[in-house]
Amino acid sequence: MKLLAKILGTAFAAAATLAACGAAATLALASSPLSSGNASVTSCGVSALGATRTVDNSGNVTQVSIPSVPSACAGATLAVTLVGSGGASLGSASATVPAGGGTMNFSSFGATVSATNLLSYSYAVTGP
Amino acid sequence: MRRVLLLILATVGIGGSVAYAATLSVGSGHLWAGGQSLTKSTCTLSGTASTTDAYVDENSPTSSFGGATTLSVGPKTNKRTWMLVRFDLSSCSIPTTGGADSATLNLHITTAPTSSQTLDVSTISSTWSGSTTWNTVPSAGSSFASITTGTTNNVTKSVTVTADVDALIKSSSANYGWLITEASSNANVTTLFGSSENGTTANQPQLVINYEK
Repeated sequence: MKLLAKILGTAFAAAATLAACGAAATLALASSPLSSGNASVTSCGVSALGATRTVDNSGNVTQVSIPSVPSACAGATLAVTLVGSGGASLGSASATVPAGGGTMNFSSFGATVSATNLLSYSYAVTGP
Repeated sequence: MRRVLLLILATVGIGGSVAYAATLSVGSGHLWAGGQSLTKSTCTLSGTASTTDAYVDENSPTSSFGGATTLSVGPKTNKRTWMLVRFDLSSCSIPTTGGADSATLNLHITTAPTSSQTLDVSTISSTWSGSTTWNTVPSAGSSFASITTGTTNNVTKSVTVTADVDALIKSSSANYGWLITEASSNANVTTLFGSSENGTTANQPQLVINYEK
């Protein structure tokens, strides 16, 4: 009987924890409709992005330009991360896609980034 | 006992389902993620196929020296000589979406001045050719680097030109190479650099580009 009480106690605690997470999550659900598949999650027409960057005479990145951002992404946030060896972030920047999309320029990355160390870019488009 | 265990499993399962469904709430609007990898490489340019160089002489203002095997730089008033050099990057096949990580201009002093001089390096902003003369010398920006010659023959001096080469990769008309002058003295001395026509390859101007694409 003691064993049963322990099992019951553990089970209810686990259920309560998971249910609590679920309950917190339902708050987010209320903010926008949620459906299955891609109905409420779209790429706003982005299939790929490509950046070019400029450097100063010391070889540090001064600007990253991302052309051809689709106008359908207007209002969303475009984030770019400058990635170095081992996937380490060398710096990042983000901005709201303007009406009409087009070319977005970033010139502040939170740190000085040497072009020599820059091996790739990561992009993310989120919201609104 | 069995019923109790079933009840427990059902209770945990319901809680888990609610929690799992909650993870779907992340995507409420546009969502896309992607990446772009960069390829690194090096291109080294020298010789007449990729280099245009010349010097101009104030004392011979209508003469051109594009075919000379050495290029003169001297500060003496009315006898000033200036050197010009640029490279054609096309053989490197770097796309205009690429860029320079670093770029170094190597200039070889074949004959050093008798007293060390400080030479100025500036970016040429208009077109020129091997037939350019003192009277037609192109315009250039302000000095962004200097070369201290020393007094020893046969030494190579390096100048960092990363920003200019990065701009050239993106547009072949972004600039037109570099002008080497001297304004810091009036000494009657000259510094001679090897040109792209110099018979000794090691004496020729060289541009080393580390780039990405």
